[in-house]
Amino acid sequence: MSSAPPLSTERDALAAEYALGLLEGQELANARELERTDPAFRVAVDRWNHRFAPLYDGVAPVEPPEGILEAIDRQIGPAATQGSDNIVVLRRRLARWRVLASGSTALAASLALALLIERPGEIAPPAPRSAPMVAMIEGGGGTARLVAAWNAADRRLMVIPAVVPPADAAHSHELWLIPADGKPRSMGVMPDGTMRVTIDEPMAGKLREGAMLAVSLEPAGGSPGDGPSGPVLASGKLTRA
Amino acid sequence: MSTKLAHRNALPAGLTFPSRRPLGMTEAMALVPRHELTPLLRAVASGDRPALAKLYARTSAKLYGVILRLLRSESDAEEVLQEVFVSVWRNAARFDEERASPITWLCTLARNRSIDRLRRRQLATAPLEAASEIALDEPSAFERIDAQQEAGRLRTCLDELESRPRALIEAAFLDGATYSQLAEREGVPLGTMKSWIRRGLQRLKGCLER
Repeated sequence: MSSAPPLSTERDALAAEYALGLLEGQELANARELERTDPAFRVAVDRWNHRFAPLYDGVAPVEPPEGILEAIDRQIGPAATQGSDNIVVLRRRLARWRVLASGSTALAASLALALLIERPGEIAPPAPRSAPMVAMIEGGGGTARLVAAWNAADRRLMVIPAVVPPADAAHSHELWLIPADGKPRSMGVMPDGTMRVTIDEPMAGKLREGAMLAVSLEPAGGSPGDGPSGPVLASGKLTRA
Repeated sequence: MSTKLAHRNALPAGLTFPSRRPLGMTEAMALVPRHELTPLLRAVASGDRPALAKLYARTSAKLYGVILRLLRSESDAEEVLQEVFVSVWRNAARFDEERASPITWLCTLARNRSIDRLRRRQLATAPLEAASEIALDEPSAFERIDAQQEAGRLRTCLDELESRPRALIEAAFLDGATYSQLAEREGVPLGTMKSWIRRGLQRLKGCLER
């Protein structure tokens, strides 16, 4: 880009190595820092990324297995298929709830339940097999606060963040279920806003009264292992609404 | 689609110097022209769910190929493909057609996510702080270019390189190999590997800027 001053040969070589993904450890940290602070370096990295892009032509397409689109659909959540009007309404209610959240836990919880169960424009859900439940997921000293609502009738779980320290690009928040057996099960990486997921049948059976929900800080994309790898920011137990 | 053949291509054993692989536009790239993908991405950005399904139908095989090539594990690749499309759903508004071709934008996202996963695998037991050095999820902004012209130029310039630096550059880009991994695979000191690749990159740049 014309506005950026030319880089030294050394810097440009570093940009190329960075774009190729060759760097590790301290060198990688240096390149990251430069990318953050030096626009000329950033432009150089872009340019190299761009130069290498035709290499993708050398990769043969492979048909992915069936079922991935369905999994993507599930992860995106049901609300996304609704009209934008509903989303606006939900946002407005969420904003109101945020104000209330600091005050009344019970009120916040019931509002979250209302958000979960009341879905304008949809046929009323079948009679619940069991009562809906809520969990206040909180961290020490109010550093993190979320509310979860669980509707066993249609296996939908919604988690609304009220106060959550933002995750940077290198980190994600991950939601965990810790049922009676004490073994954490990942419920997925949390989106920036409200999380809505439909829980599979076997897992749904574990979302019972007294089961713990927790949020941990993980590397971007979620924990590399079976359980949480980073600090637990908040936790709370499911109780009957 | 010849899945079996594609799998073999995607899972080479170790780093070898392959015979010259044509770097031309593959049928997959040619079949998904920019003018078709750009409106799809725009529709996805506006929350159009069927558009996401269409985008998936057109691009998932290409992206899965890139991811599988990098990760060499079908279960990991499936997860990353899923992550990539969830990310596309959430970030499609950030796609800027003036700056990147849609397929390049998507491939970059897929590659960054895969490298992220690769590095995470490598430091699975390292503390969380180490993870902050992982490659960013966001594709960086590209300058406006004529993709086809650029592809032709890169092909010509890569062809001008000796086979070794060319294979090494491709291995880094498509297999996610780091300097130390390449040095180990080739059985040479790290410094030697660095100077091989740096010389290759210099030549490549010189050729591209001619």
